[in-house]
Amino acid sequence: MKQLIEDLQNRKERAMLGGGEERIARHRESGFLTARERIDMLVDADSFIEFGSLAQSDQPGCEEKSAGDGLITGLAKVDGRQVAVQAADKTVFAGTEGMVYFRKTRAIHDFALKRGLPLLNLKEGGGLRIPDGMGADQFSQMLFWDELLTHNRQVPMITAVLGDSYGGPTWVAVTSDFVTQLKGTTMAVAGPRILEIATGEKISSETLGGWEIHAKYTGQVDSFTESEEASIGEMKKFLSYMPSNANEEPPVKETMDDPYRTVDNVVDIVPANKKRAYDMKKVIKELVDDGEYFELKSLFGRALLTVLARINGRVIGIIANQPMMFAGSAGANECEKATDFICLCDSYNIPIIFLHDIPGFRVSSDAEKLKMPTKIMMWNQALAQSTVPKISIIIRKSIGAAYANMCGPTMGADFVVAWPTAEINFTGPEVGVNVVFGQQLKDSENPAEERKKLLESWGSDSSPYAAVEKHLIDDIIDPRDTRKFLSQTLEYSCARGSKGEHRLANWPTGF
Amino acid sequence: MHKVKAVMAGSVWKVLVSAGDKVEKGQEVTILESMKMEIPLEAEVEGVVSEVKVSEGDFVNEGDVIISIK
Repeated sequence: MKQLIEDLQNRKERAMLGGGEERIARHRESGFLTARERIDMLVDADSFIEFGSLAQSDQPGCEEKSAGDGLITGLAKVDGRQVAVQAADKTVFAGTEGMVYFRKTRAIHDFALKRGLPLLNLKEGGGLRIPDGMGADQFSQMLFWDELLTHNRQVPMITAVLGDSYGGPTWVAVTSDFVTQLKGTTMAVAGPRILEIATGEKISSETLGGWEIHAKYTGQVDSFTESEEASIGEMKKFLSYMPSNANEEPPVKETMDDPYRTVDNVVDIVPANKKRAYDMKKVIKELVDDGEYFELKSLFGRALLTVLARINGRVIGIIANQPMMFAGSAGANECEKATDFICLCDSYNIPIIFLHDIPGFRVSSDAEKLKMPTKIMMWNQALAQSTVPKISIIIRKSIGAAYANMCGPTMGADFVVAWPTAEINFTGPEVGVNVVFGQQLKDSENPAEERKKLLESWGSDSSPYAAVEKHLIDDIIDPRDTRKFLSQTLEYSCARGSKGEHRLANWPTGF
Repeated sequence: MHKVKAVMAGSVWKVLVSAGDKVEKGQEVTILESMKMEIPLEAEVEGVVSEVKVSEGDFVNEGDVIISIK
């Protein structure tokens, strides 16, 4: 017996070395942490329970150098919460995926779903392993696995891209609820070498799938970091806003911040002069607990902000227009960003607050080519399918179809209220006056004067009082009471839980 | 050295400081005009304006440096 135990211990010790000491040294020299160091950094001390450390490649002759078959999986606690973890091991065949790797990733994903645990992925690697996946017979057994196809937002999937990722790790990242990418790494379908063979295109990996590509153009990544430690910090931060699974509510975080605190500063932040832009983040900072919020995709679709925060300890999502960018007008990227965020919040029982200051959609011939009408309706349809509590606050402008997209009246909000600064209409006054009174202005002896008068009367029609008097919106509130109003109404909206019907859970994980 | 950059393309409507001026953190230093909106740009640090790179009426692209602060 003693001998058998010793043998087991020896095997497990060897397994800790992954692809061997030499490869570990080389990996460290390139400036990266090993998969095990990453796990240690992520999880609470001594909490990791590993499965499959004795697994190895099923390819004859590879047994000795493939401990774990390129993937480390297990259960652990993060800030005291139970999670499932998987980390790609770059030292084993460059973190590529063999058949045993697949079996391990499936097993940990299945357990996470079965017992309702968030799944945290520390990822990198070159995708399907060659030669394992070569040949019609082998490849036919190695297509996409369930976590990429029918995950259906049952548990939060949180991924860090910590090294160059092609194929598998990229599929995992774009399927996740949250992705953070380490600057300097690449995330793409296939690497430059394959591109060069396929089309002859010669391109650096940075231009192919570096962080700026995803930050500004694709929106497939939510946050970017300078270090692996920061990446892991981002994963933990995102997790802190998430329930462990879709059947639970997000954790409440006690706060000393008075839920009824008056937010006097907003009076100075939001100018009454509607031509003057301001930073909506400053308004958000005033409204939320302790001024803390977590912004997703900060450089993508910048005219719209999507942030996670808390009010009176309760997790909320905020969709807000950003007047500093394009006057707050939303384009195709903003539509995708909003749709994605609604799916996230609705699936994980997070109430959504809308803060309007939008002069309309950013229309142009380019926008039409990007299917702007489809994007606008996709956002609206997501909104209509969502069942979490929604509270809508018209800060300043809410013009045109965007009034609906920002959850205006009849769009399913629990409450729609306005600040007295609100301006609501089908078009802005300049456009409206020209359309309706075009001929009259043309015939007028003093068109400038007449236009000015018409604009003034049009202005009063856009007043929120016109809507509130007919009870088309619920109230007009003192801006300084906005935090109090949100705290009070959320209490009623969430009194019987914020869990919804999750009709968006099986919507695509990107748009 | 802190650089105040244009958040989006537009024209410089007002320059509110000159080289040598002391500025506070959060102080508005220029106002751009774009899409019929006035877009104030703030100093993100306290310091002294070392260079104003634009004049009123100039067109600037997103990311262009407007003002340097030391």
